[in-house]
Amino acid sequence: MVNLEPHDGFLTRKVEPFLSNGNSAMHGYLHANKESVVVGESLLEHPAIRKADLVLIDPSTLSDSISLDNFNVNVCVISWFGLNGPYSDYEGSSEAIFALTGIMGMLGESDGQPIIPTGFHPQILGGLSAFNGALSYLLEQIKDPASAVEKPKFCIDASIFEANMCLTDLGALSSYNGEPPHKRLGINRFFPTYPLGIWPCRDGWLGVTVLSPSQWGSFCELLGLQELALNPKYGISANRLDDVEIIEPQILEALSRHSAEDLFYRGQKMRIPMARVPTMGELFDVDQYVHRKAFSTIVDGDIRYKVPSIPFRLYDTPPKFGGDVSDLGANNGLWNGLSEDTAERNLKGSMVSELPLQGMNNY
Amino acid sequence: MADLGATVIKIEGCTRFDWFRSWEASQEWIDNNGAEKAINFIYVNRNKLDVTLDFEQQAGRKLLLKLIGKADAVIENYSGGVMPKLKLDYEVLSKINSKLVMVSMPAFGSTGPWSTFRAYGSTVEQAAGLPHLQGSEQQPPTMLHVAFGDAIAGLYGTAALLTALFHKKNTGQGQFVDLSQSECLLPSAIHGVLHQSVKGQPPERQSNRRSDHLIHGVFPCRGDNKWLLIQVMSETEWRKMVKEISDLKSFEGLGYNELRSEFSNIEKVLSGWTKQGDARSLMEKLRSVGIKATVLNEIADLMEEPHLVAREYMQFVERAFVGSQPHPSSPWRIAESPLAVKHSAPTLGQHNREVLCDILGLPDDELASLEEKGIIGNKPKLANFNK
Repeated sequence: MVNLEPHDGFLTRKVEPFLSNGNSAMHGYLHANKESVVVGESLLEHPAIRKADLVLIDPSTLSDSISLDNFNVNVCVISWFGLNGPYSDYEGSSEAIFALTGIMGMLGESDGQPIIPTGFHPQILGGLSAFNGALSYLLEQIKDPASAVEKPKFCIDASIFEANMCLTDLGALSSYNGEPPHKRLGINRFFPTYPLGIWPCRDGWLGVTVLSPSQWGSFCELLGLQELALNPKYGISANRLDDVEIIEPQILEALSRHSAEDLFYRGQKMRIPMARVPTMGELFDVDQYVHRKAFSTIVDGDIRYKVPSIPFRLYDTPPKFGGDVSDLGANNGLWNGLSEDTAERNLKGSMVSELPLQGMNNY
Repeated sequence: MADLGATVIKIEGCTRFDWFRSWEASQEWIDNNGAEKAINFIYVNRNKLDVTLDFEQQAGRKLLLKLIGKADAVIENYSGGVMPKLKLDYEVLSKINSKLVMVSMPAFGSTGPWSTFRAYGSTVEQAAGLPHLQGSEQQPPTMLHVAFGDAIAGLYGTAALLTALFHKKNTGQGQFVDLSQSECLLPSAIHGVLHQSVKGQPPERQSNRRSDHLIHGVFPCRGDNKWLLIQVMSETEWRKMVKEISDLKSFEGLGYNELRSEFSNIEKVLSGWTKQGDARSLMEKLRSVGIKATVLNEIADLMEEPHLVAREYMQFVERAFVGSQPHPSSPWRIAESPLAVKHSAPTLGQHNREVLCDILGLPDDELASLEEKGIIGNKPKLANFNK
């Protein structure tokens, strides 16, 4: 992976929080284990592009003189709204995607203003979707490595907006089929079930989702609310949601008498989907995450910090956990001004043979 | 993957059918063909084949193992411990198919003290701590979605599978891949994780404002529950805003810091202005001068969302029992139009013959016997374990 950065670096280098050396921790998280090369006007002629299996492009960063048609390699263009359509020239943001997909309108008090979510989640989904699309096409290209016929180059148009539609498509389709439109019901309150939410216990927050009749029975038993379970009406999830004002005070009162940790373990034994809701301060010490090394370490000079590990483990070819961050242009010497042959040798030489995507630049 | 031409075979049972068909099945639901009308199921199973197999019966298990023997990959998301209990874990399956890629994706992963715990997409959002980063300090930890983890874990599962298939394509080696759905949600909390790790404390919950923006909020527009998101970061954008909205003229001469101290007053004036207009018209007006304004779509609006309509995002395909249905497209394409949805979600056991006879070579006349024994079928059955 080679980052071809402009002279002032990728925008991610300017995203908070910053380390004591002034570098962006976010940039480190996103770009650990990659090379950094500063590239100027001659982007298209750069050996890293000419020899690449795949070039990932944010079209808003391309100068007017460069057209996508000029890339004679496989390209995956990741943009907020895709390459055509009325919003294709709009500047995007994670918040704008939350607004357009309908997620934002569902958050918050029913009689108050919607809540704007924080974070970069829409971009993560966009990147993941693009990865899946691009890797599928790359797989197609190596279907027959012995074949002399060169597979056609592809250009993927990946839309972050459409990638995030997977979170609300179902509501749209339900509305199309005549179901009542989903409305903002209040904080932590969602169609089609209740109890679903996060509530305070004696010593922390507990997240609960009860869907099936048997889960409802077990939940009532756990909290000593068997009378509620005896009401046949409440065997149906949507009916419980209709009567939330009757049920919730009883649940709140019962939860306040218990420890969240204790309820979590006892509830899970009874097959009730529950979770402690850890604060950021507690997250690194959650026993399950510690056991699975869910966090790894990024190294930036003398500074180390924790980031989420890749959430899947390939047992025979495990991905690298954590890693080092390249300073801007740290790998210029490896690339700039090199012939194509030397560039190819660099690509082969930089591979770590045990990793699962080995050969991404070698077939 | 089915959108791209992979043969994806979904295995259900007549008693243990996909929950997305229903989690509250009844005889009436069965009699009314409810299993074939569930939009939830139709929405996520397009382009797949469907086989019913009761693999708790020996003959069903044999067929399942035969099918796995021919497969490139198996992907499953039972709670941890279920596949080993069924003697269908990787150790067993890899003896049948040494090149098999198997992706297991229990809620909390296949190892660790929570490996057998149960969860939904909502539970894994909660377990990742993400709700502590939303809303304001006065609000409880705030969830983003009814089932945030479902779609996200699915995308990570695909990424994991493709990565392992890539390795297999190059080396011929299969392997086991263990995915934790709750860990898939940790990257979504990255802003909080980094703040905690670097600064030793979580970021402040700022409600709808952002400390790096001059204006950041949702503003009411004409009509019921109509809102516009406005994000103004720089002084340049602010000047464009003042030029466009005369109501803001009184704040015109203020510098960056003075503007920040006038947050509440500016928001009040802006709300007064947005209330007079239609949200979409205001979005277009402000966008035309370079202001990041975005309408808050309601879920029911999405079928008519102009950008999605222009990009032919929804594709209408006929489906048995429910007629023509909209199907969302893949979020990437290689042409102006999206990849075609070839066929809608399968009905229960729709491809029993195609898979069991054409792929596994079972004689046609054995299907009736399997059906008689309840190993295959096309209609759900109630079971006393309906949990």
